[in-house]
Amino acid sequence: MNEPLRTAAYGLAATVALTGAAWAQDLPEKLVIGTEGAYPPFNYTDSEGNAQGFEIDLGNAMCAHLEIECEWVTQDWDGIIPGLQAQKYDAIIGSLYITDERREVIAFSDKYYQVPARFLVPGESDLEISAEGLDGAVVGTQRATSFERYMNDNMPGTELRLYGTMDEAYLDLGSGRVDAVMGDAVAIQNGFLSKPDGEGFEMRGPEFTGPEWFGYGAGVAVRQDDTAIADAFSEAITALRENGTYQEISDKWFGLNVYGG
Amino acid sequence: MPDLQGYGSLLIDGLMMTLGVAIASMIGALILGLAAAAGKLFATRPLRILIDAYTTIVRGVPELVLLLLIYYGLPTLVQDTLGGMGHDVTLTINPFAAGIGTLTLIYAAFACEVYRAAYLAVPPGQREAALALGLSSLITFRKVELPQMMRYALPGLGNVWMVLVKATALISIIQLPELMRNADIAARSTQQPFTFFFMACLLYLGITLVSMWGQGRLETWASRGTTAGAL
Repeated sequence: MNEPLRTAAYGLAATVALTGAAWAQDLPEKLVIGTEGAYPPFNYTDSEGNAQGFEIDLGNAMCAHLEIECEWVTQDWDGIIPGLQAQKYDAIIGSLYITDERREVIAFSDKYYQVPARFLVPGESDLEISAEGLDGAVVGTQRATSFERYMNDNMPGTELRLYGTMDEAYLDLGSGRVDAVMGDAVAIQNGFLSKPDGEGFEMRGPEFTGPEWFGYGAGVAVRQDDTAIADAFSEAITALRENGTYQEISDKWFGLNVYGG
Repeated sequence: MPDLQGYGSLLIDGLMMTLGVAIASMIGALILGLAAAAGKLFATRPLRILIDAYTTIVRGVPELVLLLLIYYGLPTLVQDTLGGMGHDVTLTINPFAAGIGTLTLIYAAFACEVYRAAYLAVPPGQREAALALGLSSLITFRKVELPQMMRYALPGLGNVWMVLVKATALISIIQLPELMRNADIAARSTQQPFTFFFMACLLYLGITLVSMWGQGRLETWASRGTTAGAL
């Protein structure tokens, strides 16, 4: 075979391998997946200490589709990306949103869900949800989240209170220390509004999804040299959405499809 | 008794982890701290400077930063460095060992200062008298100085222990499910923060009460042979 032909043949073979099941031979037999285990109903810990929730069911379905064995470990939120980089686990399925900032240090699969951000206010409050309406108001949200960045960039006139968890923000909303709480619409619905404490509160204003702040939805995060694993998960997400498994799991936990637009 | 919804055993597991890490770290801190104090008092100048640097740095840097650096930073550095040279290695640090190691390192620095102050509080005449009686330097330390300095050291060491117990709440960042982390998991999974944080609060208070009782016993024992009220 002459030289140009051989190069062409290699190139063709490489292209086939990339477009075909490139991940099939690269995937390890077993993956350890990290999650926070304290963000119901997406992921939480049952009384036996096992991880449960929408993301656990979806993750297990993806692993079954990829025919790999998956083991779950829970990790405190503050150390979730360092843990991945230090190889304590191989992937994160824990409502970690894909953002350009995070992409500089880790790689992501395509999104597997995207819930809009919304404001939670007491029903009797006359707060208008806009940059002008929230000027001077006190808004609470979770530290080191997309919500914090959105508020800093778009509503500089608002006094922002940052909490370690959304629950602490809800507690301060209940006691009147903050006027509104910004967060994930599903988390607010399931974690607060559907509970006895949530009575008298409501979500108000538009749904916020600007990719500059809220990224591109939550994706499976892997180390940067493990893009083959991320690609495999992207393929699994597409397959599960096509065969109805995704809809089934989403219905079970939310009664609606959380894949987002 | 509030309804723990089956999460009670998770809290007990957390309590055991907290106690395990705290006790192991305290034992390490007592030994390493005494060695460091001996170094500060008697070692040659270069070694003394080294120990001074250790206690200054460790007491000045937040525990959380040291934990993160040792558990996540060290493996990442080693793996990336060796990975860059073409060796594919995974450095696994056992989180339990990392937690105990880090807390030992930190609290030994505090214990060292307590020991040093206690040693200096023993009048030098005690040592001189023992040496004049012909006791060796080692026997003088073990039989004459150590018993007297323990009396001064115990209150300070008890304080180090109580701060250490609460510092164990930080180790959840390195995947160790201690009491605070498990209380947090239970609180957020059941949406009942007050129930579980209150239970955690009671358990920490329980540890403190038992510790205070134990410390009282130890102080009485260490002060036997001195007149009540005398220093």
